[in-house]
Amino acid sequence: MKKCLSELRILIVHHFAMIGIVLALCLPDIAMGQGDGPRFYWKGLNGTNAIPVIGSSLGGNANPVDPSHNVVPGADFEASMTMAGYARMLPVFKRSAMISIIMPMGRISSDVSTNVLNNNTTARGFGDPMVQFGINVVGPKAIMNIPDMLRYKPGFSVDVMASLAIPIGEYDNTSPVNIGQNRWYGRVGLPVVWQIGPWVPGKRTTFEVLPAVWFFSDNNDFEGKKMETEPMYQVEAHLTHDFMERLWGSLDIISMSGGTATIDGIEGNALSNVGVGGTLGIHVNENMQITGSYSSTINDSNPEDLNMDGFRVSLIYGWHKLVEGMRRLKGSE
Amino acid sequence: MKKNLFLLTAFILSGPWLYSQSPGSPVQDKRPNIVIILADDMGYSDMGMFGSEIKTPNMDALAADGVRFTNFYTHASCSPSRSMLLSGVDTHLNGLGNMDEWTAPNQVGKPGYEGNLNDAVVTIPQLLKDAGYHTYMVGKWHMGKSPDKIPAARGFERDFSLLDGAGSYWDMTNFTALTPRSLYTEDGKYLTELPKKYYATKTYTDKLISYIDANHEDGKPFFAYVAHQAPHDPYHLPREWRDRHVGQYDVGWDMTRNQRLKKQKELGIISDSALLAERMWFIPEYALLAPAARALVGRKMELYAGLMENMDSHIGRLIDHLKEIGEYENTVFIVFGDNGAEGNDLAAMIAGTPGTRDNLYFASAWSQTDPNAWGDPGSYVGYGAGWAQVSMTPFSQYKGWLGEGGIRNALIVSGPVNKRAKGSINHGLMSVADIMPTLLDIAGATYPKNYKDKALPPLIGKSWSDVLAGKAESSRTPKDYIAWELFGNRAVRQGDWKLRWEYTPLGKSAWELFNVTQDPAERNDLASAQPEKVKEMLMLWDDYVQNNNVILPSRSPFEGLYDVLPARFPVDAGYPPLVNKRQYTPPQELIKSPKQ
Repeated sequence: MKKCLSELRILIVHHFAMIGIVLALCLPDIAMGQGDGPRFYWKGLNGTNAIPVIGSSLGGNANPVDPSHNVVPGADFEASMTMAGYARMLPVFKRSAMISIIMPMGRISSDVSTNVLNNNTTARGFGDPMVQFGINVVGPKAIMNIPDMLRYKPGFSVDVMASLAIPIGEYDNTSPVNIGQNRWYGRVGLPVVWQIGPWVPGKRTTFEVLPAVWFFSDNNDFEGKKMETEPMYQVEAHLTHDFMERLWGSLDIISMSGGTATIDGIEGNALSNVGVGGTLGIHVNENMQITGSYSSTINDSNPEDLNMDGFRVSLIYGWHKLVEGMRRLKGSE
Repeated sequence: MKKNLFLLTAFILSGPWLYSQSPGSPVQDKRPNIVIILADDMGYSDMGMFGSEIKTPNMDALAADGVRFTNFYTHASCSPSRSMLLSGVDTHLNGLGNMDEWTAPNQVGKPGYEGNLNDAVVTIPQLLKDAGYHTYMVGKWHMGKSPDKIPAARGFERDFSLLDGAGSYWDMTNFTALTPRSLYTEDGKYLTELPKKYYATKTYTDKLISYIDANHEDGKPFFAYVAHQAPHDPYHLPREWRDRHVGQYDVGWDMTRNQRLKKQKELGIISDSALLAERMWFIPEYALLAPAARALVGRKMELYAGLMENMDSHIGRLIDHLKEIGEYENTVFIVFGDNGAEGNDLAAMIAGTPGTRDNLYFASAWSQTDPNAWGDPGSYVGYGAGWAQVSMTPFSQYKGWLGEGGIRNALIVSGPVNKRAKGSINHGLMSVADIMPTLLDIAGATYPKNYKDKALPPLIGKSWSDVLAGKAESSRTPKDYIAWELFGNRAVRQGDWKLRWEYTPLGKSAWELFNVTQDPAERNDLASAQPEKVKEMLMLWDDYVQNNNVILPSRSPFEGLYDVLPARFPVDAGYPPLVNKRQYTPPQELIKSPKQ
């Protein structure tokens, strides 16, 4: 029996690797073009906390920090961004829910040679923090305790999520390139996770899809002009698979459409683009996961097409007091 | 009686004539088909009609259509039971005086201790085949691997057999670095690979149905030995069978045992006065386990229940098929488990020591430890002593031991030979060795004195014919006894009494005496109180040793167990009170904040 209980502790700590990952990924990625990423909406033990640190390097013909992705033909944006945040799993009406906040910070430079812009511009500092709330509506009940966690399998689950960016980031109304957006924006979406095959570390496979709509308020001081942006439609999908117990990968695809920006009555082009990429993730230990991903738009040969690519490395640290306590007990044996 | 003998003799004499007809003109032989369904390590209370919450509708239907026996004894482990089943001869004469895996130094090379079903005995399929039956086997053999020992050599004309004692249900993976692959035979040939989409219980059933169908038109009856691997560990089962009891066993072994005992009393399996055996002292009180531990430990029982139910469904497939081809009504079913439920941790015994060769082998072949992988290839789950005692409700101990929990099993017999009331229960003393003479009676055959010019050892079993005919309540007289010896543990049962010697700490390394009719849980050792009875029973033991070539082993797998298990103390519910003390709540009026 002692062996059995020891086995239990190992399993719980083992499962915590998954929890850490889940929480780490449950943070909205403000660096657009890559979407939220795979395994973003997996569920974890309620009460689990996570802190992500995400580094991104993005480039293309639109400001990567601006989710509306207004294409500036001929422009060359380069962004080096870091994001840090916090997320916590909690039950709401006995369903899994998660609330998170993330703070972007970093540097964007643009090298533009068009009729609109003809200079080099750099913006740096803190961006608009974004809060997000998501709750599961279809699928397994909330993981309230370790027995629930041991029995958890996502099956077919659907969440409802909403996020909102608070326009307090650094903004220079004389510059076309900013980290802060000087407007409220956010989205609503229906993340779906569909388990394919067994739910066993080393064998898990999921198909995930996130349809979402972004909404933008007006920016009334875009270099002294008024910028209006129509809703933008985003669909991202991922086919994820465990290669080993601690190593997994994903094929990613994201599509964005709509989001037409109008500046002082001059209407721009609507987005209609597709990006593809891949992600690798590794569970470093019970608390930490690292993922690396790359994505790039395709069918982007016209100057008006969104042309963007980016690397992203995420380090996520998660913890739960119960699991920490069990680890201490294990260490005292 | 004389009339019966006359009819029997006439029937036997007519047998050869019946089978001498030309192939082109098959004669319908109305003797019943016989199907033995042997469930590996199935416990006494694991079928619904014996008190279980596990859903076994097909085996229950056989019980409802036949008779249940509550005082049926097997041996304490696999191959000894199987050898007695097929030979009707005591293990110390038939080659399984000890399991091949545990043969003691002083037993090596001795006749009766070959570790396989030796050539001194003849088998049921050999005699039934000679009597005109088709003989089929599917499932686990475990009584020899060489060409002269495999099922085809021991009387089965068709077989699909796992020769090893256990292994994966999904593939040929076995347990040790030196025997990494299980051996299978089909129709006497050793297989290099398994059929596509192999799953043991399903494939065994498919194969048997195909054998039955292949010869159905010739009109001969068949004998089928269905030696299911289930529910032996590892608990391998299809995914759709794993989640039928999620959370059900979080209540624990004590509660589940009480529920089963209550149902057993309602069914009439156990007397109303019977007590539950004491929870074995090294098994923790379930209430003390954390919810997560209950869930994880309970998950093992969930899988076991699913494995039982899966097996039952395939038994149902076989029954349905026999009904479809019009053979069900003329088929005798005999259903039982081969020994007590498994409370030992076989995986730990083989590979539990880090740094060993077999530990390394397990790392490569048996390391699917995630609970969601339990049941998959590469996972090894057994439910341990706590749940084994549930399976053996109301008894104490489990497989390998000679407590009632190791040797008493549930038995169902149904079919045309049963003239007792359908669904009735019989408490007569029965033995697995009785099956040989019973089947010979059913087939109208006799046990010969010689077989292929060799004198045969005597049968130790007693035919159930009179019991099944409703003419007797037991196939044994009050003077008849049953005795066992395995791994150095010993026991004798005669009438209500049982004398038992077992290694410490499950036993006392001394003779204990129980009245198992009044005390089936073996709670009260009466050896001190009734020395004369002990003396009387010891004479039976001596008789058994003398007549059956018993050589007590010089080594035993249990010889050092006293040094492994915790010290044995009585189990008193709620002791010590410390573990159940709750937070004291003072009177509200005396509660205040501290002075700063």
